[in-house]
Amino acid sequence: MRHNKLALASVVAAGALALSACSSAGGTTADPSSAETFNPNEQVTLTLTWWGNDDRASRYQEAIALFEEAYPNITVQPTFSPWDDYWTARSTEAASRSLPDVMQFDLSYMREYADNDMLLNLQPYLDNGTIDLSGFDPSLVSAGVLDEKQVAIPTSTNTFSMFTNPAILDQTGVAFPDDATYTWQDFNQFIADTTAAGATTDDGYAIYGSPDYTGTFWFFMQWLLQKGVQPFAEDGSLGFTQDDVVEFLNLTADLRAAGQTYPQDRTVALTPVSGFASNEAAAQMNWDNFLASDSADSGSELALHQIPSIEPGEKHLFLKPSMLLVAGANTEHAAAAATLINFLLTEPEVGAIFGTSKGVPADVVQRDKVEAAPGSIDAQVIAYEESISRDVTETVPIPVKGYGTIEAKWKTLAEEVAYGNLTPEDFAKQWFDEAELAMS
Amino acid sequence: MTAATVLPSDAESLRLRRQGRARRGVQALIYHGLVLALVVVVLYPAVWMLISSFKPSNEIIGNVSLVPEGASWANIQTALNGIGGVSFWTFVLNSLILAVGSVVGILISCSLSAYALSRVSFPGRNVFFTLMIGTLLLPFHVVVIPQYIIYNQLGLVNTFVPLLLGKFLAVEGFFVFLMVQFMRNLPRELDEAARIDGAGHVRIFTSIMLPLMQPAFVTASIFAFIWSWNDFFAPLLYLKKPDLYTLPIALRLYVDQTTTSDYGAQMAMAVLALLPVLLFFLVFQRYLVEGVATQGLKG
Repeated sequence: MRHNKLALASVVAAGALALSACSSAGGTTADPSSAETFNPNEQVTLTLTWWGNDDRASRYQEAIALFEEAYPNITVQPTFSPWDDYWTARSTEAASRSLPDVMQFDLSYMREYADNDMLLNLQPYLDNGTIDLSGFDPSLVSAGVLDEKQVAIPTSTNTFSMFTNPAILDQTGVAFPDDATYTWQDFNQFIADTTAAGATTDDGYAIYGSPDYTGTFWFFMQWLLQKGVQPFAEDGSLGFTQDDVVEFLNLTADLRAAGQTYPQDRTVALTPVSGFASNEAAAQMNWDNFLASDSADSGSELALHQIPSIEPGEKHLFLKPSMLLVAGANTEHAAAAATLINFLLTEPEVGAIFGTSKGVPADVVQRDKVEAAPGSIDAQVIAYEESISRDVTETVPIPVKGYGTIEAKWKTLAEEVAYGNLTPEDFAKQWFDEAELAMS
Repeated sequence: MTAATVLPSDAESLRLRRQGRARRGVQALIYHGLVLALVVVVLYPAVWMLISSFKPSNEIIGNVSLVPEGASWANIQTALNGIGGVSFWTFVLNSLILAVGSVVGILISCSLSAYALSRVSFPGRNVFFTLMIGTLLLPFHVVVIPQYIIYNQLGLVNTFVPLLLGKFLAVEGFFVFLMVQFMRNLPRELDEAARIDGAGHVRIFTSIMLPLMQPAFVTASIFAFIWSWNDFFAPLLYLKKPDLYTLPIALRLYVDQTTTSDYGAQMAMAVLALLPVLLFFLVFQRYLVEGVATQGLKG
């Protein structure tokens, strides 16, 4: 019942955003030439919103307390919700042009909101020094630029990694390939061997090598980059063909046929926790910042490795900017909002408060402030991102319009492939049909 | 003497009686066995939730067992500690204010409008009644955005007003309809008699109708309370300050797929959030059944 309501709600919410696009022409977008620096005598209340759990809420509250101490005339009014509800609330607010002053944002929604003129151009505040990004990698900052406007700035970065569960590797006796040079075929072999080892968990469930990695659109993009194909062209169109999709899906065709990837029905049964985090799979490719949640869910120590590649050693990794900060275009206190954004992005103490819970901090000073106890998850993630820094040769593919839809479609169709109801060729055809609709 | 040959002997009748009893016994056994099996199926999720609230988080998902290993009060403790510096009791209080406010609002406004629609004849009454029924067919989600824009411009977001105002203005067509139907079945002779004695609408409403409406009031209160208590979407949109959050919002905050999820604390808070509704229902369910029964029988 509640799920139905939620689903309906999000449909309505999506409509709201489209609707608001019509009215945005008359909206107030801050005039770049009139960027003020912040007036320290004016009493201001800013609204700040983020998604996340109770733990993130208390960390943000700590950071807010610090900020209010440093800027006594600014009161920060926080609000937070989990991911799904977060976007429902934001799109309703967008419809009435009452978005919060400062928002935690995600790459996948950036284009949609920016196209509707919902996000403030922060460039003037970068120019006048309110926001100081000297500790940032320039390519990361440019990830927040759309149509020559700096609409967002990332707080942190993630990149792809391979998680393994050392306890399971011991149990099955299958060694993980050398992660510096292994290929997708080597990884497939590992999956097959691990599943064939026939180990079971204490509860009697079979242990598999890995879930089918072709089910995730981001992995496909990573693979395309390794192949030398840019997923999206400058103009926001697709840079790959149906043949690329089929080729990618066929990477695991043999494993699927032999039932050696983690079974889909068990995945559904365990949702929202993955089979890997339930200690029923030996390895899973994932964003490195998920190490904390997977470790918590599985209750065992996990290890981080590099992902496989097409040519040995040529990883073509990219840093995905995450937890971007944006200001709502409707804000009445743009300068104060920029001040808050700067504080959250660059204040060293804030880096210490969040650790790597939002990813590895993008700001070099904040990164140094993360107190990572040796052997802790924070330390593992930071060490991993440092170790692969030479392999980060690509910039992140900026999601196109309708990205949410095409990513979700990929997942649904991949489930059908996993059940054996759909061939990779049909998958490619249906997905391209959907993509054409969503992106037009 | 012939009767003796037809009638079974004492021993025979005793055997037959035993046989009958045994058959009935077996039937009862099968019947109760089946019913109990059904009860187990129906209650299993609730019991699972209750047990899970005592389990460590990583033993919850994918675990169908009802036997906790290492039960503890830790989850309950986490839930009671609140979220982001806001106490658990604040969430309870907010939910209570909204639920009780809804009940009061609905009882006052819906009974008044029901009286007008069923007892006062005024031009266009049938049109208004039809329109009221029409609002029942209008999905909530159609009006969400216009409503939000209006409340936002009135500066009423982050107050309880958007969640309660409608209840005090008889916007809930379902309850108006329920009460109209109930009033229509009350004998008209009663208010005619009062009218002859000189009573006006106010007097008839307060002295005749209200006392007779009790079953309908109880039914409406129970529904209004439970719906408001469980409402998730409207509080999500209108209450953005953490210290205004209601229980259904707070309880989702423990599970976020993009960060770590504390399923144990969520289960614990779900159990705590369920208790008041359960108590409310246990206390009033007798009246609920009564209310439905009288409505069915009248007329």
